[in-house]
Amino acid sequence: MTNNRLVLVFAVAIVAVLVAVPLFGSIYVVFLANMLLMYAVLAVGLDILLGRAGQFAFAHTAFFGIGVYTTALINNHTGLPFVLTIPAGAAVAALVGVIIALPATRLRHLYLGLATFAFAEVAHWVFNNWESVTGGANGLRFQPQNTGFGTITNDLQAYPFVVVIAAFMIWITRNLERSQLGRRMEAIKESEAAAHASGISVTRTKAVAFTISAAYAGVAGGMYTLFQSYVHPDVLGFDTLVLILSMIVIGGLGTLPGVLIGVVLLGLMPEAMRGLKVMQELLYGVILIAFLMFMPRGVWGFFGPLIFSRSERKPAEDKP
Amino acid sequence: MWTLFIFQGLAGGLVTGSIYALIALSLVLVYKSTHVINFAGGEFVMIAAYLALFLLVAGGLTYWIAVPLCAAATFLLGAVFERVVLTRIQGRQRPGQNVLVAMVIATVGLTYVLKGIIRPFPYADEVRTLPPMLESGPIFIGNVVITRQDIAIFSIAVLSMVALFVFFQFTPLGRALRATADNPRAAALVGIPVRRMRSFVWGLAGALSAIAGILIAPKVLMTPDMGGLIILAFAAAIIGGFTNIPGVIVGGFLLGIVENIVGLTISTNAISVTPFVVIIAVLLFRPQGLFGGRAETKKV
Amino acid sequence: MRNSSIGKLFGAFGLAAALSVGVASAYTVKDPQQKYADPGITDDEIVIGLHAPLSGRAKAFGADALDAARMWYDMINARGGIWGRKIRVIVGDDKCSPNDLLAVVKKFVTEDKVFLVNGGSCTHAAVAAQEYVTREKVPFVMLNAAGDAAVFPPTRYVFGAFGGTQRTVGGSLIDFVTKNLGAKKIAYIAHDDDFGASNYLAAKWTADQNGASIVADQRVSRKIVDVTAPMLKIRASGADVIVITTYTGPAALLVKKAHEFGIKMPIVAAVQAVPNLEAFVKNVGSKEAFANFYYGSPLNDLTDGPKQQWVIDWFKKTYNRTPTPFMSYGIPSAMAIAQALHNAGPNPTREGFIDALAATRLNTGILAGPIEFGDNKRDGHNASIFIKYDGAGSTRVPGVFFNRMPLNP
Repeated sequence: MTNNRLVLVFAVAIVAVLVAVPLFGSIYVVFLANMLLMYAVLAVGLDILLGRAGQFAFAHTAFFGIGVYTTALINNHTGLPFVLTIPAGAAVAALVGVIIALPATRLRHLYLGLATFAFAEVAHWVFNNWESVTGGANGLRFQPQNTGFGTITNDLQAYPFVVVIAAFMIWITRNLERSQLGRRMEAIKESEAAAHASGISVTRTKAVAFTISAAYAGVAGGMYTLFQSYVHPDVLGFDTLVLILSMIVIGGLGTLPGVLIGVVLLGLMPEAMRGLKVMQELLYGVILIAFLMFMPRGVWGFFGPLIFSRSERKPAEDKP
Repeated sequence: MWTLFIFQGLAGGLVTGSIYALIALSLVLVYKSTHVINFAGGEFVMIAAYLALFLLVAGGLTYWIAVPLCAAATFLLGAVFERVVLTRIQGRQRPGQNVLVAMVIATVGLTYVLKGIIRPFPYADEVRTLPPMLESGPIFIGNVVITRQDIAIFSIAVLSMVALFVFFQFTPLGRALRATADNPRAAALVGIPVRRMRSFVWGLAGALSAIAGILIAPKVLMTPDMGGLIILAFAAAIIGGFTNIPGVIVGGFLLGIVENIVGLTISTNAISVTPFVVIIAVLLFRPQGLFGGRAETKKV
Repeated sequence: MRNSSIGKLFGAFGLAAALSVGVASAYTVKDPQQKYADPGITDDEIVIGLHAPLSGRAKAFGADALDAARMWYDMINARGGIWGRKIRVIVGDDKCSPNDLLAVVKKFVTEDKVFLVNGGSCTHAAVAAQEYVTREKVPFVMLNAAGDAAVFPPTRYVFGAFGGTQRTVGGSLIDFVTKNLGAKKIAYIAHDDDFGASNYLAAKWTADQNGASIVADQRVSRKIVDVTAPMLKIRASGADVIVITTYTGPAALLVKKAHEFGIKMPIVAAVQAVPNLEAFVKNVGSKEAFANFYYGSPLNDLTDGPKQQWVIDWFKKTYNRTPTPFMSYGIPSAMAIAQALHNAGPNPTREGFIDALAATRLNTGILAGPIEFGDNKRDGHNASIFIKYDGAGSTRVPGVFFNRMPLNP
């Protein structure tokens, strides 16, 4: 089968699954699907920064939280439709992303990683302590979101919107991949010096990558408010960050199919392990390490070349 | 009264700071030689503490025996992890690809593994401590209170750091390790077994964690999640410049003191966010820390 | 693959998804047996979703409490069930995390189709379910969580605080130190989270009512390592008693530091600070530190006191192991549920069950006070006893203490 046909088959399969879920699954399954779709947007957003632009930045959960709280608060106070509140949340997250990006572009690797990680922890502390706005450690309750034609009160009703938003964000990523900006990010990932020498504004590209990544996280935060009814700062902390990071690294850093595979794998793993009680932590760690040892380029890095014949792969996909 | 506050805060800060410095040292050791950030550093400390608990309480051994045993065990743990997991991840690296992220996530995976191993044990259900090393009883220096345990912690920590410094500066093995860290290729050319050196460094870092764990357990109390301390070690390392051993030690002390000062002058609430603010502040205004040379940006 | 085709594909399935949702909603067929309007109940059984943290760092708070609840339900079944129906329990692990708890509850409600949910040992996680169970109109009865944020203000479908809320803790602590120890200036140490905020609220109100004042209010993180700063401030505050409502790690550090500083005034701790007295003494490092030490408890006796033996022996016989400290806290909610299921009549509905539960007046033989709910009251238990502990043995201080702060102070 040609590569194009193969991709078509996969795409149809994905659509089929997405349609089957609400038709044949319980509402719990729909809830899981909503969660995975939200994680997909989160993971893809982090991958833009980490996998494509090569920036070791770990502030993602801070922007996720900003998106959640902003969207929820605007909705709680005004009841505006989500097509307005979610972009508003994303915009605020992106704004903070820009502010962070400016000093962050001066740092690299270890230092960038630690600084952004520290920022995420400071954000977590703020979420926990700024009671008047975020509800602090008591968490924040959401009013049902408004579609413009009614409100969303359960996972089933939220689902089509979650799907469309996720699809939209992934479609943007696909376009980003092929755009000039995408190529510039690729270049600075390879070598900042060479990119600079060829006339690319390294600082500006990095800043843009930061902002876009933050915006993705903000959108994911908005998605969260569509199907959930409450948020507590603990879901905006280190554990979530590690989860998303694991998703993209195990799935395949820098590749869209890889990231999505990682989301499904690691998103469903806790469900699969739910019965195991005490051994869960241990198993999770072992699986993580095993994947990294045997497929350090991720599942997609491993299986991708096997499924798609080398000769037909486009040059962009040929890069290791 | 304020002077009493400050001096007591200083004294307390020096003691906890010495522990941060020790853990930070093990982090920096690993980073300098392998460029990997060991997120499991705190869990090494935790495992050592629980092993010591088991040996001392269930095994009835004394500290003189338990400490070297624990150090040997964590040495093995570190060396084996490096040899089995990290070398393999690095070995599969293709040219132009960066596996650093993968190695760091492997250490994150290790934190889950180590925590997961300890949690099922009945010991882990309660907050625990190690049997006392010395008789307790406060000592007064002026109006400032210190315990004998505090002095022991401080002294042993400082001694370990001095020993480490001497080891790196003056022994052949230490110099070989430094060579491997600075320039692995040149070191290999000169005949230094680079791979073995790497495993050794990880083992050494593990052993350091054991000492830190045994010192720190009575001070901060043991739970399977005590590894969260690692962030304080990170902050200490960053203050010091992350690659400069004396700097990192000073960083540890500074951090311990700053925490107390913040607690006394701002609010107790703010203590938990202090290390992160410190990290951001240092990285923004002086990324190489107080003692680092130029900002290190080597790309592997 | 070309962009336009992907675009069309996404658009297509967005539409398909919306359509499928419409179909699915229409497709929700009512149960063929229209006999019971609510799920989870048949002629032979009632299904209860039972959850607690069974793994992870909070395992010690929930695992044994859940087993105790199960023990109670098994006993009810052994006696013939309720109105001829056996209770079938489905167990879930909420890991003390809001996301996981919500997932477990959603699974219980939509897949397992339980009649009611009984679970939760951690307040901030239990709160996550409140909105959901209210929208879905499912009774949610907490296991041993304090549940402050979810029971104040009370909502119809959520019941909790079988061991007392944090308001109970704060109010009764201050009641005790002002009335029994004659304290006028109180140093208060709590966590910088929902727990601390809630117990402090009641503590402050009670202090004002009883003519005392809180001269030091220190909030510490759960992971605090060096308590020099808060203890220095407390020493300088001129307080005549120290009240600690933190968890056991920080509490031990605080008692130890107080001892190092030569502080002699009474120290009174909340129940969450001392789950295991022996370990606590070791953690503090000296018995002398307990010269003037008290702690509170929602039980009616010492944890291993004579009034508690029947539960402990029963648990040991059922599960062949010694229970951990919070085990008996799991029983009162099961007791209340079983009683309400009975009082709701031979063909209970969820709404009927809730009305019956709201009318509960129950003496458990385990807790210091009765379990009482009401039309506008969803916190079940409000009493505390206090125990003096000298590092070796415990003696109960006579009296039962309450939080008297009204719902909206």
